[in-house]
Amino acid sequence: MSGIATRAKVAFVPLALIVIAALAMLLAGANPIVAFAALLRGGLGGPHQIGETLVQTTALLFPALAVALALRAGLFNIGAEGQLVIGGLAAGALGAAYVGPGYLAIPLVLGAGALGGGAWGALAGLIKARFGGSEVIATLMLNVIAGLLANYLAVGIFAAPGGEGAETASLPPAAWLPVLLPGTRLSVAILLALALAVVMRVGLARTVFGYALRATGSAPEAAARAGIDVHRIAFVTLTLSGAIAGLGGATIVAGVLHRFNTALSPGYGFIAIAVALVGALDPLKICVAAFAFGLLQSGSLAMQSLAHVPKDLVTIVEGLAIVALAARRYAA
Amino acid sequence: MVGAALELRGIAKHYGGARALDGVDFDARAGEIHALCGENGAGKSTLARIAAGALAATAGTVARNGAVGLVHQHFELVRRLRVWENVVLGCEPRRGPRLDREAARARVRDLGTRYGLAVDPDSVVETLPVAIAQRVEIVRELAREPAILILDEPTAVLAPQEIDALFAILRRLARDGAAIVVVTHKLAEVAAHADRVTVLRAGRVVATSPMALMSTDAIARAMVGGELPAVAARAQHAIPPLFDACDVCTRDGTLGPVSFAVGAGEIVAIAGVEGNGQSQLIDALAGTIATTGTMRLGDRNLTAGDPAERIALGIRTIAQDREREGLVLPWTIAENIALGDHARAPLRRGFFVDVRARATLAATIVSDFDVRTPSPRAPVAALSGGNQQKLVVGRALAHEPKLVLAYQPTRGIDIGASALVRSRLIEARNAGVGIVLVSFELDEIFSLADVVLVIFRGRFVGRFTRADFDRDRIGALMTGAA
Repeated sequence: MSGIATRAKVAFVPLALIVIAALAMLLAGANPIVAFAALLRGGLGGPHQIGETLVQTTALLFPALAVALALRAGLFNIGAEGQLVIGGLAAGALGAAYVGPGYLAIPLVLGAGALGGGAWGALAGLIKARFGGSEVIATLMLNVIAGLLANYLAVGIFAAPGGEGAETASLPPAAWLPVLLPGTRLSVAILLALALAVVMRVGLARTVFGYALRATGSAPEAAARAGIDVHRIAFVTLTLSGAIAGLGGATIVAGVLHRFNTALSPGYGFIAIAVALVGALDPLKICVAAFAFGLLQSGSLAMQSLAHVPKDLVTIVEGLAIVALAARRYAA
Repeated sequence: MVGAALELRGIAKHYGGARALDGVDFDARAGEIHALCGENGAGKSTLARIAAGALAATAGTVARNGAVGLVHQHFELVRRLRVWENVVLGCEPRRGPRLDREAARARVRDLGTRYGLAVDPDSVVETLPVAIAQRVEIVRELAREPAILILDEPTAVLAPQEIDALFAILRRLARDGAAIVVVTHKLAEVAAHADRVTVLRAGRVVATSPMALMSTDAIARAMVGGELPAVAARAQHAIPPLFDACDVCTRDGTLGPVSFAVGAGEIVAIAGVEGNGQSQLIDALAGTIATTGTMRLGDRNLTAGDPAERIALGIRTIAQDREREGLVLPWTIAENIALGDHARAPLRRGFFVDVRARATLAATIVSDFDVRTPSPRAPVAALSGGNQQKLVVGRALAHEPKLVLAYQPTRGIDIGASALVRSRLIEARNAGVGIVLVSFELDEIFSLADVVLVIFRGRFVGRFTRADFDRDRIGALMTGAA
């Protein structure tokens, strides 16, 4: 009974968001139909637009999977943004200085990203598991530290020689992720993200670790009584979650920017929370949700220039999605 | 003339499509103690609340010849307030605009002497033992001078002597002309104290009769709607040593030091009033809380606070709160069956859960324990409490355990399911499993236990073997009166 009702409500949220967005457009004095058409054309109107939408999809998918993994264990990781930035920084710093054999460049750069993000997640995990601190506060604060640290290092020791912005030197071409769709910025990172979603789904449903993780998330007391070390699960999960977000940051560095720049994320780690919730924490549904949000990201510029609707409207809709889903999640 | 103080006709109560009550007639006469019996979910509490006016019926009429007082199963007192403040809450005596404290205190003392319900008006409720807190709730209802007093499961938290004292008070109230309705599922009390009995089953009245004309067996059959299921017989056998605890204490001081042993094939029951350290004892034995002292299973010393080690060694728990501590409610039966054994063969294969082995095990438990489920894929949240409990018990016994810690294994489940659970526990005992049983019903303890340990304020104050079970003596020890 409640299952069907829940499903109906989840389907209702995107519809409600479209209606609210339309009303907001009317308020802003624009024709919603024109605006939505511009949004779609900007996001899907040609190979270039589709490529850009998928670039955004990929950038959202990694942190969304990270957020979902933690939430399945009952942990609210709102630090995917910081983990993504640290992962990107580690990938950029290593990549810019890389001198080894070419075939190792990509694995090492991506590995550095996962390690960096994982370390950042592990810090929150340590605070949660060892000292009983709230992972919400810990990850939130670590976001701020990550941003400032990345800024400090990117204009300091990792800065491009002679450069002016807060960015590292360019990565050697051997460290660039192969382009998937010629003429666009879309790299093989999207395949990596999709594969990760499949692995995560199978891992959660079928592995012993996934079982223990879900038990901890759904019924921590029962899990502890069943001999599951819920503190260890919290630590490992936040570390893995950080590693996934950090890997996402590394793919932006190695696949899109080819360097680390402090402006590499317009808030992917935060939007990812909405993506994970809209995707009902199911990795495969999250892929669909990430595409929808990626479309919003890439189409919003076209909407602004063609329909004169400020692209910040997209941010408003994303914010509403978080509020609506969070309210529903914590209502019962 | 002895008229009906309370008369309910054709009462129905529907919740959505579910019929909690359907065409119920019930009456209570001035001067009588009327027992309202039935299994969990039969509609007793719903009927009591409708009679008291706390709940509106979907259909039917309620005639009350005077005020009705309702003493709740879970007391509805303001725990931070004093006794007199609770008693006058809602009908405060005034002197001008101010509360007349002296009049309020006097009222409490006056009711106490009149009915033999002595309570100190200035005690804070949360500092009182449960039996006294219940007395406060009764005094509060009596302060409103009800013609009808309804008590919902009033003896659930009381020791035997306290139960006798309560019924003595109720008898005095009845003699003074009140109609007393006692909602209960404990048949021994009904037989000992009631004048009339009404039995509800599935929302309908299936029997109503003077107590003198109905045996407890007949009442039980009416409650169940058929013959009572038989409980398995106890085998006579040697009991080799299995488990022993020495000077076990919890950090918070609510338990211990306690020392005791459980043999293989022995049921050791812990008798006591709820809240005397039983749940801490089970937690300590299960390793879910930190303890001092030593515990040994066979020749193996158990690490304090390591539930995983104990599970690996064959210690299983039937948890106190099955919905929070025993089950993962959104999961299926099969997923729940694996909980605790998920990391071991046969339910594990390498990194993976062996879904097929799990499904096979689940099917076995479902059929052995007669677990009724709308669908094998349904979440256990959709199962009734009794079926959830059968699942938890089935899981605890499924992997050839050595020691089973059973906290109220039949709580909140119907007579048929209780008999099944008790039978399975006895069969496990006969097969050589050691069992620690916490129960608040002496009848259950006497039917299952080889040894009874009486617990009071976190310590054992008496030990009885099956040959010398003594209800009065155990009851006295439970209240610390020895």
